Amino acid sequence: MKQNKKPNSQRFTIGMKKKLVVLFTLVLLAFVGLGVRLILITKNNGEEYEKQVLSQQKYDSTALPFRRGEILDSNGTILAYSEKVYNVILDAKLLLRDEKFLEPTLKALVTEFKLDGSSIRSYLADHPTSQYYVLAKKLSYDEIKHFQDMITPGEKDYDSNIQGIWFESSYIRKYPNGSLASDIIGFTSGDNAGMYGLEEYYNDTLSGTMGREYGYLDEDSNLERTTIPATDGDSIVTTIDGNLQSIVEKHLQEFNDQYANNVRQANGANNVGCIMMDIHTGDILAMASYPGYDLNNPRDPSRLIGMPAVDEKGNKLKGDSIFDSGVYITEEMLESFSDEQLYQNYNALWKNFCIADTYEPGSVAKPFTVAMGLECGAITGNEVYNCKGNLEVGGWKIKCHNVYGDGAVSVQRGIEISCNVAMMHIAQAIGISTFTKFQKDFGFGLKTNIDLAGEARTEGLTYSPSNMTPTDLATNSFGQGFNVDMIEMITSFSSLINGGYYFEPHIVKRIVSSSGATVKNVEPRILRQTISPSTSEKIIEYCNTVVTGPGGTGKTARPAGYMIGGKTGTAQTLPRGNRQYVVSFMGYAPASDPDIAIYVVVDRCNYVMQDDAKFATRIVRAVLTEALPYLNYPMTEELSDKEKAELEELRAQMVTSQTAPGEEAAAEGESTESSEEASEEASDAPVAEEKPSIWESFEVDKATGYYIDPNTGGLIDPDSGYAFGGDELPDFSGDSASQSDSAAGSG
Amino acid sequence: MARAAAVLRRRWQETYIDYSLIFIIMFLVAFGLIMLYSTSAYEANLDFGDSAYYFKHQLFPTLLGLVVMIAASYFPYKVLARFAMPIYIFAAALLVLIIPFGKTINGAKRWIVIMGISIQPAEVAKVATVVFTATMIVRLKKNLVTPKGFGTALLFPTILAGMVYIITRNLSSAIIIMGITMLMLFVSTPGYKLYVLAASGVLGFAALLVFIISNSKQTSGMNFRFERVLAWLDPAAYASGKGFQTLQALYAIGSGGIFGKGLGESMQKMGFIPEAQNDMIFSIICEELGLFGAIAVMLMFILLIWRLMVIANNAPDMFSALLVIGVMGHIAIQVVLNIAVVTNTIPNTGITLPFISYGGSAVIIQLAEIGIALNVARNIGRE
Repeated sequence: MKQNKKPNSQRFTIGMKKKLVVLFTLVLLAFVGLGVRLILITKNNGEEYEKQVLSQQKYDSTALPFRRGEILDSNGTILAYSEKVYNVILDAKLLLRDEKFLEPTLKALVTEFKLDGSSIRSYLADHPTSQYYVLAKKLSYDEIKHFQDMITPGEKDYDSNIQGIWFESSYIRKYPNGSLASDIIGFTSGDNAGMYGLEEYYNDTLSGTMGREYGYLDEDSNLERTTIPATDGDSIVTTIDGNLQSIVEKHLQEFNDQYANNVRQANGANNVGCIMMDIHTGDILAMASYPGYDLNNPRDPSRLIGMPAVDEKGNKLKGDSIFDSGVYITEEMLESFSDEQLYQNYNALWKNFCIADTYEPGSVAKPFTVAMGLECGAITGNEVYNCKGNLEVGGWKIKCHNVYGDGAVSVQRGIEISCNVAMMHIAQAIGISTFTKFQKDFGFGLKTNIDLAGEARTEGLTYSPSNMTPTDLATNSFGQGFNVDMIEMITSFSSLINGGYYFEPHIVKRIVSSSGATVKNVEPRILRQTISPSTSEKIIEYCNTVVTGPGGTGKTARPAGYMIGGKTGTAQTLPRGNRQYVVSFMGYAPASDPDIAIYVVVDRCNYVMQDDAKFATRIVRAVLTEALPYLNYPMTEELSDKEKAELEELRAQMVTSQTAPGEEAAAEGESTESSEEASEEASDAPVAEEKPSIWESFEVDKATGYYIDPNTGGLIDPDSGYAFGGDELPDFSGDSASQSDSAAGSG
Repeated sequence: MARAAAVLRRRWQETYIDYSLIFIIMFLVAFGLIMLYSTSAYEANLDFGDSAYYFKHQLFPTLLGLVVMIAASYFPYKVLARFAMPIYIFAAALLVLIIPFGKTINGAKRWIVIMGISIQPAEVAKVATVVFTATMIVRLKKNLVTPKGFGTALLFPTILAGMVYIITRNLSSAIIIMGITMLMLFVSTPGYKLYVLAASGVLGFAALLVFIISNSKQTSGMNFRFERVLAWLDPAAYASGKGFQTLQALYAIGSGGIFGKGLGESMQKMGFIPEAQNDMIFSIICEELGLFGAIAVMLMFILLIWRLMVIANNAPDMFSALLVIGVMGHIAIQVVLNIAVVTNTIPNTGITLPFISYGGSAVIIQLAEIGIALNVARNIGRE
C-alpha cells in the first residue's frame, strides 16, 4: 500500500479531463475530415478510377495459354494432342541497355534460329524502345533448347551478354494419325476453338482456363512479373477403336480406288459412310465417310477434287441433265473458285456424312415396318401375301423391284427378298396413326443427340398422322418418302436386334483431367423400349435369312467364316427417274447373338447402274472379314477353299505390318474377289430357287452374268430377280397416272 | 450488513470488465484477419505457393497478443511506474542491437531475430514511450509547467525517436513516438496557447518545406523523402515511381463505390498495390467493402478511442489515466495517419493500421496496450 500512496496523491484533475475531451474532439474531427475525403474521392473520381483499374488489368497482364485436352481412342491411343511451341520475342529496350549485349545476342540468334542479322539490326535502329517484337514463330522445344540454355544462368553454355530475348509459349494442335477419324475428331482453328466433330462438341471440356502473368512496378519502379499458371483442359476418351476405325477407312478408300473416275471424273461415289456400333451400349466403335481430310492440314484443296460441288447453302450443284449426279470439282474448277466458294466446299468436306446428311433409306426400313406390325399386333408373322409385281395404292401403281411378281410371299420372305408389296400390305394393316407413332418411337424425325457437332435436324422430314396419305404410308413401308440420317438408322436398328432397348448413341465414354483423374464416366443410357424382346427375336430371325436364305439380297455381305444378318437397301432419290440411287446394307454380327451393328451407305456410286446393293454389301464383307477376328469372335462357319486362300492372303498382309493393320497400303485383290462372288452366286442360284422364275428364261448377259429383260433391255439380278434401273416409285410430283406408267417404263 | 455490502461491492468492483472495449477489440482483430487473408491470398500464393501464408503468420502473433492482453490486464500496472527507466533502457538497447544484428526485410533494416521470432524494436519503443512519459509526468508534478520540467519530459522520448529515425530510417515511427508524447503532455498541462503555436509552427514549417521542394524539382540532390512529397502533390506525374502505390490505392478506393466489389473481389490486390497487406490494407477494404465498409471500420476505431477516453476520465489516479491516454494517442495517431496516407491527404509514410495490417510485433504490442487499458478499467472506482 505504501507504494500506491505516491501516485495516488496526484489526481486526474477536471482541467485534464476537459483537455482529454478536447483531444477526443480533435481526433473525431480528423476522422470526419478523412471520411469526407473518402466520400469525395469516390464521388468525384470513382468512375475514372474504376476505368483505370479495368484498363490497367488488360494493359499490364498477359494471358498464358492452357494445354487443350487430348482425344484418345478406347485403347488409349492418342488421336489428338497439343504440343507446346515457342515464339521468339525481342525486347529492344532491354537489349540496347548496353553496347556489349548487341553482338553476342545477334550472333546467337543468327546461329540458333537462322535469322537474318541485318534485318534485326535495322529493326533495332528504327525501334530502339520497342519491347515486343516477334522474331520467329511456333518453334518446337528442341529448336529453342540450346538457346534456352544460353540464357539460363547456371547452364553450361550460359552467356550473360545475351539479353533482351525471351520465349512466349503457345500450343498447336497435332493429330498423329493424320486423316484417321477426321469426321469424328474435327479440328481446331488458330485460336483454339474446336471446329466440327468432337473438337467442337467438347470444346468447353477440352479447353482449360487461361493463366495470367501480371507485370507491375515495385516501389523502386522495377518491373516485377507474377504468374498464375494456366489450368489445362480435360482429355476425352472415346469409344472409337482405332484399329476398327482404320479397317473401315481402309475399305472405304479401296472402294473409292475401285470406282473413282469410272463413269464420271469423280470419287467412287458422292458419299460413302460406315458406322459400327456396340448394340448393347450405344457406343460408336467406328464411324467414317469418304472423303476424309488431313486433320493437320484441313485446308488442302486437293482433297476437294472429285467431290460434288456445292452452292452457298451447302446444296449440291445440279448437273445439266437430271441424270447427272452432280457437278464434280476438278483442278480447273478449284482455280476458278472464289474464296467463298472454296470455303463452301471445304464445309462440305469437313462435315460428317454419317450424321449431317439425310436421304431416303430405302429397303433397310423394311425390318422396322415388320417390327411395327408384330409389335402392335397387326400381323402375327404367319401371313402370306400375293406379290403380283405391283400394288395400286391411292391411284398410283407402286411396283415391286421384281416387276413380274414373286407370288406367295410370307413375312419372312418379304424381308429376305425385299418385297415391297408385302410391306405395303403390312403397313396398311398397321394404319397411319400407329405407323407414324412407331416411327417417332424409332427416332425417325428426331435427333439422336449423339455427342458430335453438326447432327442433322430431321424434324419435318417424316410424316405426321395429319399429312400422311395412304400412298405415303405405302412408300414409307419400304423406306421411300421420308428422310433419315445414318446415325438415326443404326441407333434405331440396334434397338430392333438387342431386345428393344433404344440407347442414346455416344462417342465419349470418359472425361479425364490433365492429371489423369477421371472427371466423368459416361454410362450407357437407355432412352426407351421400342419393341418387345420377342419381336426383336423375330426380326433377327428374318434378317438372318437376308444373308442365309436362298433368295436373300445380302448374301454378298457375309464375311468368310462368320454368319451375320442384316438388310439391304436400294433407295431412289429425287427427282424420281433420275437413275440415281442410295444403296446400303445394315447388318449385325454374330447372327445368332448380335453384339455389333454395321451400316454402310453408298450415295450415288460412280457406276453405270448405281442401284446395286452389292456396292454396300461388299464393303460390309470386307470390313467384317477383318473386324470380327480382331474383336475375337470365333469362326462358326466352315471355310471354302477360296475363303481360306483369301484369309491366308489377308493374314500375310497383317504379318508384314503387324502393329497397325489399318495403315497398310490398300492392296487387296478386289477384282478377283468380285469375280469370286459372281461365280458363287451363279452356282447358288439353280439350287436355291424353289420354282423357276420368269426371268430365268431370259438371255444371259455374258459380260456380267445377269439376265437381260427382253421388254426393257435392262439387266436382272439372277438371285433376286431385281431389275437394275427399274424404279419402283412413280414420280409423285407429276399429276397423272399415265405419267407414272411411262416413268416406270423407263426403268 | 454494511460490511457484507462492502465485500459484495468490492467483489463486483474486482470483476468489472469493460465488455464493450473487449467486443470492439475482438471485432477489429477478427475483421483484420479476414481482410488480411483476402488481401494477401493472391500474392502469398504466388510467392510462397500457399494462399494462407500471411494469414498463418499473423494468426499466431494475434493469439499470442490476446494472451499478453489478458496477462497485462491482471498485472499490477502500478509496478510499471517503478520500472519505467529499465523499460526505457531496454527499448533503447533493442534499437541499438539492430546495428549489429538487424535483419533486412524489403530493403529496410528494422528487425532483429530472437529465437526465430523477428521483432520490430520500434514497436517496443512506442509502448516504452507511453510508460516512461506517464511516469515522468507523474514524477515532475507541478514542475511540469516550468520550461525546464517540460523540456525534461520531452527530452527522453525525443532521444528515443531520434534513435528510431537514425538507426532504422523509419521516420513514421519516430513521428508516432513524438506524437504520443505531445498528446500526453497536452492533456497533462493546462493552457492551449503553447500547443496551438507549436502546431501552427509545425504546419507552417511543413508548408514551407513542401513549397521549397515543389519549386526545386530540377535539383538532383533530393533524397527519397522529397520525391515522396512531390509524388504526394501530383501522384499521376510519378505514376511509375513513388506515386505508383498511392495512385493505385486511390484507384482502389475510387473503384470500390458505395458498397464495394465484394469481399475477396479486389482487382488492385492482384499485384497492383505491392504488399497491400501492410500499409495499404485500408484501400483494399475500400475497394472490396466500399465506402460503407470503410466508414464502418472508422466508426469502430472512434468507438475504441471513445471507450479509452471514458476509461482515462474515470481512472483511479493520474498515472493510470496517462497510461490510457498514451494508448489512446498511439492508436488515434496511427489510424488517422494511415487513412490520411491511403487517401493521399499526407505524403506516403509507412504507417500501419492497428489490429488490421500485417505485422506480428505491432499486433502484440497493441494488444498489450489494450490489456493495460483493461487493467485500468478493472480498477475504476477503487481507491
